[in-house]
Amino acid sequence: MSANYNGHITRRQFLQFSGMAAAATLGGPRILHALVPSKGSFTQDQVLRLPSICDMCLNKCGLIARVEKGVIKKLDPHPQFLKSRGMLCARGNAGIKQLYDPDRLKYPLLRKGARGEGRWQRLSWTQALDLATEKLKIIGEKYTRCGVLFMAGSDLQSTFVNRFASVFGSYNIVSHESNCLVSRNRAYLDTFGEMPIPDTLNSKYIIMAGANCFEALITPDSIDMLTAKQKGCKLVVLDPRFTKTAALANEWHAIKPGTDMAFFLALTQVLIEEKRYDEKFVDEKTYGLEQLRDHVRKYTPEWAEKECEIPARDIRRIARELSAAAPAAMVYPGRRTSDYEDSTQIRRSMAIVNALLGNWDCPGGLTAAREIKVKAKPFDPPFYEDNPEERVETGRSLMMFEEEGSFKHARDAVIEGKPYPIKGFFTYKTNPMATGANRRKTIEMINKLDFMITVDITMSDTAWMADLVLPAPSYLERMDPVSALQGSSACGCLVTRDPVVRTLFESRPIFWIVSELANRLALGKFFDFSLEEYRQEQLKDWPQAKKDLKKDGFHYKHSKIYGVYEGKIYKTLSKKIELYNQRYVEKKADPLPVYKAPPSVPEGKFRLVVGRNAYITQGSSTNNALLAELVPENELWLHPKPARNLAITSGDVVEVTSLVGKGRLKVRVTEEIRPDTVYMDSGFGVLSKGLSTVYGKGASIVEILEDRNDIISGNMAMHETFVTVRKIT
Amino acid sequence: MTDISRKNYILVIDALKCFDCKACMVACKVENNVPNGRWRNWVKPAIGAKGRRVQFQPGQCMQCEEPACAAACPVRATYKRSDGMVVIDPNKCIGCGNCVTGCPYGARFWNPITRLAEKCDYCQHRLVRGEEPACVETCPTKARVFGDLNDPASKASALMKKGRLVQVKNTLIDTKPRIYYTAGTVQLNWPKEPTLPGDVHLPASFWKIKKNNNQ
Repeated sequence: MSANYNGHITRRQFLQFSGMAAAATLGGPRILHALVPSKGSFTQDQVLRLPSICDMCLNKCGLIARVEKGVIKKLDPHPQFLKSRGMLCARGNAGIKQLYDPDRLKYPLLRKGARGEGRWQRLSWTQALDLATEKLKIIGEKYTRCGVLFMAGSDLQSTFVNRFASVFGSYNIVSHESNCLVSRNRAYLDTFGEMPIPDTLNSKYIIMAGANCFEALITPDSIDMLTAKQKGCKLVVLDPRFTKTAALANEWHAIKPGTDMAFFLALTQVLIEEKRYDEKFVDEKTYGLEQLRDHVRKYTPEWAEKECEIPARDIRRIARELSAAAPAAMVYPGRRTSDYEDSTQIRRSMAIVNALLGNWDCPGGLTAAREIKVKAKPFDPPFYEDNPEERVETGRSLMMFEEEGSFKHARDAVIEGKPYPIKGFFTYKTNPMATGANRRKTIEMINKLDFMITVDITMSDTAWMADLVLPAPSYLERMDPVSALQGSSACGCLVTRDPVVRTLFESRPIFWIVSELANRLALGKFFDFSLEEYRQEQLKDWPQAKKDLKKDGFHYKHSKIYGVYEGKIYKTLSKKIELYNQRYVEKKADPLPVYKAPPSVPEGKFRLVVGRNAYITQGSSTNNALLAELVPENELWLHPKPARNLAITSGDVVEVTSLVGKGRLKVRVTEEIRPDTVYMDSGFGVLSKGLSTVYGKGASIVEILEDRNDIISGNMAMHETFVTVRKIT
Repeated sequence: MTDISRKNYILVIDALKCFDCKACMVACKVENNVPNGRWRNWVKPAIGAKGRRVQFQPGQCMQCEEPACAAACPVRATYKRSDGMVVIDPNKCIGCGNCVTGCPYGARFWNPITRLAEKCDYCQHRLVRGEEPACVETCPTKARVFGDLNDPASKASALMKKGRLVQVKNTLIDTKPRIYYTAGTVQLNWPKEPTLPGDVHLPASFWKIKKNNNQ
């Protein structure tokens, strides 16, 4: 072997490295871990393999970073991390470019020009924190503490943002989840009393509707689904678009968008009519079969065929096959369900089918959450007498989650100034400017503010609109608290992070930022600990976990997977699985899902549906230089038939227009979508010029999507928009 | 350190396990510093009768027994090694690019930074460290199985022994690829006809003559 030609290491270096690697293997990773200098510089010539937990999406997969001379050269999968089945996906591999990205925020910035103009002034951290403190104080005094809205992404340190918001005195804390999945959670909680975890690995029959597991990857579900398929599991996909999941499915049905409930009500009808449900299970463990039986009598497969355009004989056959495979059969609960105004009820209709199959708490079905919880350091937030009675968006949907809120409703409340004004906005690693439908409204909301603070790694569209932008480190540079993860039969586990490399530039973790703000606001006693101390406290009753986390970054707790609910009651009003939901009656929602046909697509228009592929994490990954090579811009999927009528061919640039906005992007003419529907990926058409890779590429979904919401949960409804398509070039 | 002289490397790919996440492509790119716009490996969709994707096929340099690239090389920088790999000696390579167009699978590219030819080398530097190639290790479903045919205990040996494997060859030329796919893998329509550019005067019938000589 000779010296390499492409920036590789030489043979001599190979020998050095391999010798070291061998020694390291003998010593075990724990010794390696001890080699990380907590302070000061990394010694030259060190080759380290350090564990961490990926943060390129929500999954939190285990990884091992190869660090040479203090620089990460490669991120490899952690072979022992069960949740991710020892893999690291394209985004996980591209994490290195989140760390080493010239677009990273390097120091605190203060807006100088108009909002969104992109003129900034560099501040020192002292200046930045003093300014933020002063603004928070002024807004708090003038508009009450609830006059500041807080929003944090799904990050291991987001808990500190919520803690800071609570002690500062605002209970207006919204999460990203109401732009994503709260309607699914609502539906399953209101059926089973908790959000189940699908055991796809052991399933024999899976129906996937409104989900795309081979592109919107969920670990371990996506991987397990392929493994299950190889063992003979049948996968049936309902999707107006021929996704990669559809490509690999046994059956694909190009369902008419917005009619999934008709399909599942008809499945229910067949299961009950033909007595193909699990009678013993339903009798013992569920509530409301009689009401359900009456309710679905009219929802025959023949009726459903007219609605969802799936032949009645197929619906009947699928119901029979599903029942034959039960209980190792399921309707996959999915993840992002921000689609329709009756999104919770659509998922209720799926949850009810699951209940009838008796798949709860058993192999190949839906499993209960494992006993793995870590404590947050307890605190008793101060009481502020002048605060309003309730959250700002209260009453705008029937049953919102207190801990998640609704971005859509909170945004409306800020714009209207009702029931009380909100004049401050604090965001951490979440990007509502790219994820909240109807971007113009988000801009309108931000224009109502006196002061907006954004903490992030790069200049996201949300940061672009802020007054004060503070740089955060990536996951590879941070120490994090301990967090619990659930994932199918693979885990219950705990994860944490230690820094793999030193923090770059002047970036500071959010823990440090909110601690500093708390100190300046005389709230320091609520942050009178270091992150290390916080973690010690979290783990004080878990000596083994402490050891494992130090060694690998994760700890598995082996606990019962199936039969967890034996002898236990369900957390619902009837203490049973609720086919018929009694609380919905009180809340004036339909106790059983009632089908309402979606409005038909107007002549000359299309229904716009949105989604992503395996290289995109909503609004946060498209600027990654490695991932941009895979998908440099988004395209509009258009069926050949309408394309012919509009004289559009693949590669043409079109303008897509809705009632609220428009965007220009290239077209992909394809048989892989229904003629009445068009599709585009999220994450493009950005406003921020600080995102140099993706700026100017493709169109933004949130610029075009109207902002409807799920009536029950307040989840954004993103598939209710009709658009026209016009050829530009 | 791994002694490569006693190895006989082979790669078996189960395309039915691939869902086109492209982890292998990014892993390879980072591991091998592959420049923007170039790839050492790929995932190609197979298109079914209705014009829709039916399968996703991972691939990379086929490490052929009779490599067209080696024949196309005017300076013998590319050669077949005893461990089964086709390698490029960067000290000999003059960057003429003949091997790039000579490969019937489009597995090579010209690196604009090093100005030399480049392709998959099964991450030799990782093999030396006792690790698997980056694409193999990172794959969610482990669709690629890499191993040593001389080691009967290796998974790849077991798969080869079990048989029922197919090859996805370019029908224009048989260079005897050494990557095997599991049964059920669809034949891809390789568009690439190997060509010999530049001033290297090899007769057009070269491939055929060479094959005949070997037979």
